[in-house]
Amino acid sequence: MTTFAIEAHGLVKRYGDLTAVAGIDLAVPRGSIYAMLGPNGAGKTTTINMLTTLIVPTAGSASVAGYDVVRAANQVRTRIGVTFQDIVVDQDLTGREVLDIHGRLYRQPTAVRQRRISELVELVQLTDAIDRRVRTYSGGMKRRLELARGLMTDPEILFLDEPTQGLDPQNRVGIWNYIRDLNQTRDLTLLLTTHYMDEAEALAARVGIVDKGRLVVEDAPATLVSNLGADVIRVRGQGERDQFVAHLKSVPFVIRVDLDTLGEFVLVYVDSGSRRLAEIVASAGANHFQIDDVTVARPSLGDVFLHHTGNALRD
Amino acid sequence: MYATYVIWNKHMVKFLRNREELLGLALQSVLWVVLFGVGMRGLISEIEGRDYMSYILPGILALSVLGGAVGGGMVMLDERLRGILKEYLAAPIPRLSILLGSATSTATKALFQAVLMLVVGILMGARLALNPAGWLVSLILLGLFALGFSGIALAVAAVSRSIAGYHGMIFLFNLPLLFASNALYPLAVLPGWMQAIVLLNPTTYLIDAIRTLAFGTTATLPLTLSIAVVTLFAILGTWLALSMFQRTIRS
Repeated sequence: MTTFAIEAHGLVKRYGDLTAVAGIDLAVPRGSIYAMLGPNGAGKTTTINMLTTLIVPTAGSASVAGYDVVRAANQVRTRIGVTFQDIVVDQDLTGREVLDIHGRLYRQPTAVRQRRISELVELVQLTDAIDRRVRTYSGGMKRRLELARGLMTDPEILFLDEPTQGLDPQNRVGIWNYIRDLNQTRDLTLLLTTHYMDEAEALAARVGIVDKGRLVVEDAPATLVSNLGADVIRVRGQGERDQFVAHLKSVPFVIRVDLDTLGEFVLVYVDSGSRRLAEIVASAGANHFQIDDVTVARPSLGDVFLHHTGNALRD
Repeated sequence: MYATYVIWNKHMVKFLRNREELLGLALQSVLWVVLFGVGMRGLISEIEGRDYMSYILPGILALSVLGGAVGGGMVMLDERLRGILKEYLAAPIPRLSILLGSATSTATKALFQAVLMLVVGILMGARLALNPAGWLVSLILLGLFALGFSGIALAVAAVSRSIAGYHGMIFLFNLPLLFASNALYPLAVLPGWMQAIVLLNPTTYLIDAIRTLAFGTTATLPLTLSIAVVTLFAILGTWLALSMFQRTIRS
């Protein structure tokens, strides 16, 4: 029994000239939640498709639940559950039929299917709607049904591609609670993709930031944030910005300097915001940069993301 | 191939539940037989020694098979465009069973419609020859033809980007398969160049065989040739669907 539920080495997927995934390494421990965070088109879904055996990698290798995704694809398939990015569920069937047919595809005996359905329906709170056609479900109900379908065969590992995309805040928090609960009570390993910072921060033990088909950085969300510095001072203004930024980089207590995506704010990461604020403001004046607005805050995963994928200034 | 059965079964449940599709298929059958058959019967009372209703019924059966196959291809296209295909692909089932499930459900629908038309045709005065063995062979041939055309429909469904694109492509097959055949008029009355086209059409062989076997008309083409052509059509259609399907799931 390996310690990692998911392992990938140099995973690559090319479509002609287009490289969707340019070499990703992953090691997700059993029983943990891992979030791949990245913008749309970063290669998250393509990575999930390779790990769930839907597509074959161009290069590299991966094993899921200890089995190779290419050579032992069927072994992988019997041990995983998947929900897809778009809502993928038959509109003309009832929720119960959707779950039942799914179980039959995996050759679950009738008694097991019936037991699983009644358990899962309770878990995702669809008891009243389960015998209605899926057509009549709201978006959040369909998502919950899909989650139940992914869990139908009692998988070791659950893959969730953008699990809360398009859901209202209440349903999002609901799905988050199910995910946390499943991870804690059943020791389920979860790999999810998301482009919501708060989702990755709220759920994952480890976050991998994916950009342009590569895993840019990977760590616990708190570590990613604290690596940036204790505080971030956001400065907006006009004048000699480049001179100001160049000066900041030579200041010992400044950990790093970024520009936000619009180039509107200069983000100055420092050891202590309240203590250094006066010095930063003073050095702006000395470098002919007139400050319009300045705020001090704790860095967020959003700042981490910007730092690693956006218009980050080179150190 | 338990998965094939599960997918077939699911498609049947969806089919029987979809009242519009069922009603549409049933009405189509009635309309064709009544409007076309009865109308033309006023014009042509007898053809090759048979009443016109008995003459055109095999052609209408072939047409209904086409209609059923188009509907079946739609199911697969719908599942592909909606992404339900991915649910199958992530499951530990043979890839072939996904296609076979769709092909058998498509062929079942096509046969269902053909039988419906047969009943309506007989009610409207078509007369079957008393040849149960011939009926059986006719039904098998219809099944093979259904499989062949389902293959074409599924192949198109495997590569179409949209529902409109699918219908446009299918229409290209559908129309000539019916009109460039002996469905509505005997081979002998056609000019030579059209005869050549009609003889390239597998529908012609199916219709000639059914006329001979189930309606007692004298064969205009050798029966063994007709059976061979229809069988070949079934194999080609299945092969086409398989190769297109494999191309799709690889990307």
